[in-house]
Amino acid sequence: MVTAARRRPAWVRALDSNLTYQIGTFVLFALGWQVYGTVWGGLLVPTFTETVEAFVELVGTREFWDAMFVSNQALVIGFALAVGIGVPVGVVLGRFRTLERYLNVYLNILLVTPMAAIIPLLVMSVGFGLLSRVILVTIFAIVMVIVNVRAGVRQVDPALIQMARSFGASEREIWMRILIPGALPSIMTGIRLGLGRAVTGMVIVELLMVSLALGNLILEYRGMFNGPALYATIAAILIEALVLISLARLLERKVAPWAPNNQKGANQR
Amino acid sequence: MIEISGLGKTFIGQDGAAVRALDDVNLTVQENEFLTVLGPSGCGKTTMLKMIAGLLPWDQGEIAIGGAPVRGPGPDRSMVFQNFALLPWATVLDNVAFGLRMRGVGKKEREERSRELISLVGLSGFESKRPGELSGGMQQRVGLARALAVEPSVLLMDEPFGAVDEQTRRLLQEELLAIWEKNRLTVVFITHSMEEAVLLGDRVVLMSARPGQISEIVPVPLERPRSSDVGGVERSSDYVNITAYLWERLREMHEERSVVAGSGPSV
Ligand SMILES: Nc1ncnc2c1ncn2[C@@H]1O[C@H](COP(=O)(O)OP(=O)(O)OP(=O)(O)O)[C@@H](O)[C@H]1O
Ligand SMILES: [Mg+2]
Repeated sequence: MVTAARRRPAWVRALDSNLTYQIGTFVLFALGWQVYGTVWGGLLVPTFTETVEAFVELVGTREFWDAMFVSNQALVIGFALAVGIGVPVGVVLGRFRTLERYLNVYLNILLVTPMAAIIPLLVMSVGFGLLSRVILVTIFAIVMVIVNVRAGVRQVDPALIQMARSFGASEREIWMRILIPGALPSIMTGIRLGLGRAVTGMVIVELLMVSLALGNLILEYRGMFNGPALYATIAAILIEALVLISLARLLERKVAPWAPNNQKGANQR
Repeated sequence: MIEISGLGKTFIGQDGAAVRALDDVNLTVQENEFLTVLGPSGCGKTTMLKMIAGLLPWDQGEIAIGGAPVRGPGPDRSMVFQNFALLPWATVLDNVAFGLRMRGVGKKEREERSRELISLVGLSGFESKRPGELSGGMQQRVGLARALAVEPSVLLMDEPFGAVDEQTRRLLQEELLAIWEKNRLTVVFITHSMEEAVLLGDRVVLMSARPGQISEIVPVPLERPRSSDVGGVERSSDYVNITAYLWERLREMHEERSVVAGSGPSV
């Protein structure tokens, strides 16, 4: 028997996919923007088409790519640090509750502190260089990584650990064969959410602390009342963030396809 | 042979209250015996089984298997869990091979052996599926295959068929009996079902709660091989009498408890 899903023509299925809806809402959004920009826009709110034009122009400039390169330096290093430190810390915190008792306070502080408030402290102690930007990106991202990884390790079914022990597994084998794979979906989620925060951190630090690279472009265009260019820069950052997060999402599904959250049809968290 | 003598265990709950989970439990399980354990919820069945498995320490007494005292998990024993305890990220083949892998069996041999067991429990063709794609009955077949793969001399089963539907349960019971007839290993099988205890067991250990103790051991003199077919064991008068007797005893225990519980001021 042919199932209903199979009989439907390709274009109907395509219409039904997530992407179609997303494109649909985007078109609506762009239209609304266009109307608003034309009617009430004035100097600082460009229309959608103006922004697109400015964007095309922007990506043609050397200045933009230099800025991208400098900004992303901090992003890449800071994010790598966040993952490299955050994953092991999260795993250990998840497994050893006593340790967590000592460290929970600091984690909570990291979670609730408005990061912008840390920036002056950071500048005073480390200066304006790449180092302080990297540190800020790391601090931004690492909390998400730690919290998710910790939760992931914790929700590993204790029955599985017991099962492994009943077959004579050593502590090392329990880590390698049960805890890490069991926490993998959450580790990947933590990495994805951390990436989002890292991008935020990258931009904020440049806006508030060191007028540099992308952040500096934003400030400059604002100073010149160049609305379209300002919006185009922000759009570029948004696009980068979206692309990175989609990639992370893809990786997440690839690495842990068994997780309920990564099954076909499951909605993005 | 499993010899349990004077086994006792007190848990301290999170509220600080002490629970006497096991008290002076004495039990000998013969070589190749199929022993079923029946008792009200909370009487210490799982606790006792985990101790035999070497997963849980005890306070008093001794457990010896083949004369050697139990100090931890060992290659002579394996366990089938009530909620299957399968690795959700691993395929059926890898799940079945898990025990062998922990015991250091090489890849080729362990896959070969696992395939044999997968076909023994009737799951051929599902080797590369993940547990999430299987029904409950199939998942427990994987659990059974995993336990049998390491060729234990003692098989410990904690309500293994409690989480599957009635029809599947019957099929699994028959398969287990067939496997046991062929391989003849010692089985300790915990259940909540009187019918299951009688159908499977050479003897039924009846436990009572608070403190967890063995209250009686009922021999089941039904002929082997047994099956639950029409005209099978379930029609015999022995089967009917023993299950009826077990039910009576369990009800008594329940009533004793209600009397104790009801002796306080009523609200
Ligand atoms: N880790 C633990 N901490 C505290 N108390 C426990 C612990 N494990 C078991 N107990 C208590 O010991 C008693 C026996 O528990 P056990 O799980 O062995 O019962 P059971 O006979 O297997 O019950 P069921 O038929 O419901 O599975 C129960 O009263 C239980 O509350
Ligand atoms: Mg139990």
